[in-house]
Amino acid sequence: MSSLKEFTKGFFKENPTYVQVLGMCPTLAVTTNAINGLGMGLAATSVLALSNIAISSIRKSVPKNLRIPIFITLIATFVTILDLLMHAFIYDLWKTLGLFIPLIVVNCIIMGRAEAFASKNGIWASFLDGLGVGLGFTGSLVLLGSIRELLGNGTIFGIQLWGKAFNVFVMILPPGGYMTLGLLAALFAFVGLKRKQRGEQK
Amino acid sequence: MREHTKMGFILLIYCAIAGFSLGLVYTITKDKIAITELGKKFEAIERVLKDENGRYIVPIETVKSTVARAKDESQVIFEDRNGKVYSPVYQFGSDMGNVYVLSGSAIGYGGAVSVVASFVKKPEGFMLFSISVTDFSQETPGLGAKIQEEEIQKRFYPMEPSSLENGVRVDKDANMTGATVEEAKAKGVAKVSDVMTGATITPRAVANAINAMLSYLKSGVK
Repeated sequence: MSSLKEFTKGFFKENPTYVQVLGMCPTLAVTTNAINGLGMGLAATSVLALSNIAISSIRKSVPKNLRIPIFITLIATFVTILDLLMHAFIYDLWKTLGLFIPLIVVNCIIMGRAEAFASKNGIWASFLDGLGVGLGFTGSLVLLGSIRELLGNGTIFGIQLWGKAFNVFVMILPPGGYMTLGLLAALFAFVGLKRKQRGEQK
Repeated sequence: MREHTKMGFILLIYCAIAGFSLGLVYTITKDKIAITELGKKFEAIERVLKDENGRYIVPIETVKSTVARAKDESQVIFEDRNGKVYSPVYQFGSDMGNVYVLSGSAIGYGGAVSVVASFVKKPEGFMLFSISVTDFSQETPGLGAKIQEEEIQKRFYPMEPSSLENGVRVDKDANMTGATVEEAKAKGVAKVSDVMTGATITPRAVANAINAMLSYLKSGVK
């Protein structure tokens, strides 16, 4: 696979949220508006890229039966560093994301990429993979957050688009999250299927 | 046995490296975090000491030095069924009488809602001078999180000692949704149902936090 493909596969073909359905807990919880989704996505992306680099660079020296505890130690370290940095420098976002920052440790996307990709591939490819999947995750969260924010509150990133009369409160509440997620996943599956059919016809 | 020792040793090395880097980052960010937390706290205290014309009822220099001097404990010093009150409690002298600034919290829709409030001690009791809702991060955006709007927070204050005898309630609980804002305030009721449609839990949490602080003050502050 070329480096570009390594990077872009997370956007659509292997999109972590809508295609692989990984990391649902933070996805549903923080996407009540677009900015939270963006913050959560970028936080996860930086941890993912860094942990992929670190895991890829130590992959040859880690004994096979010790890899899970070592990977978790590494990921937890990166997350704690991120938590401290966010607390110090972007306080408001840190406060909003709250519990979901420490929970990145057990985000299955990160563990999944470490186990499925970084522990078997070179540093550069792992970095691209982490960045790509992370940005795919960010994009998914922003998309989900924007739709919920727009329909529920009439705004995107806090910018008012239409009046309060059109607001559907349920979109901001958990049911709205499930509905939007389900419809988007269906859309991704549909487009993915179409693409596959076109590929077979050729 | 040797295999186990080896594995333990490898794990030890990784953990040591992780621990060391965490310690390093902690040392670097520690001061910045303390400054940010203090700054946020100070901002809220400053806000509740302003009257409706934007003037401070206590000289701002006094506030600054008192807040900086107080040890940052944030321990629960009082708790009842309404909510919690945290230390430190600040006390300032002013033209209106002694001013107390308290921070408290009560459970809202998704978690704790934190409020900083100022009370003025008058001969007939405590007057609620001003409030500032400092943490509503677990409330629903567009619903409960609307509590951040200053216009809505103003529905809670000022309330005279006579209206606070039974504590603060929201208009829906007091069956006063028809009353005007001022009529409601005179009875210790915050009229919010017109501005926070569909979200009663968050303003109720604010009222509960204020009630906890009132009970704390009434329980006897030196």
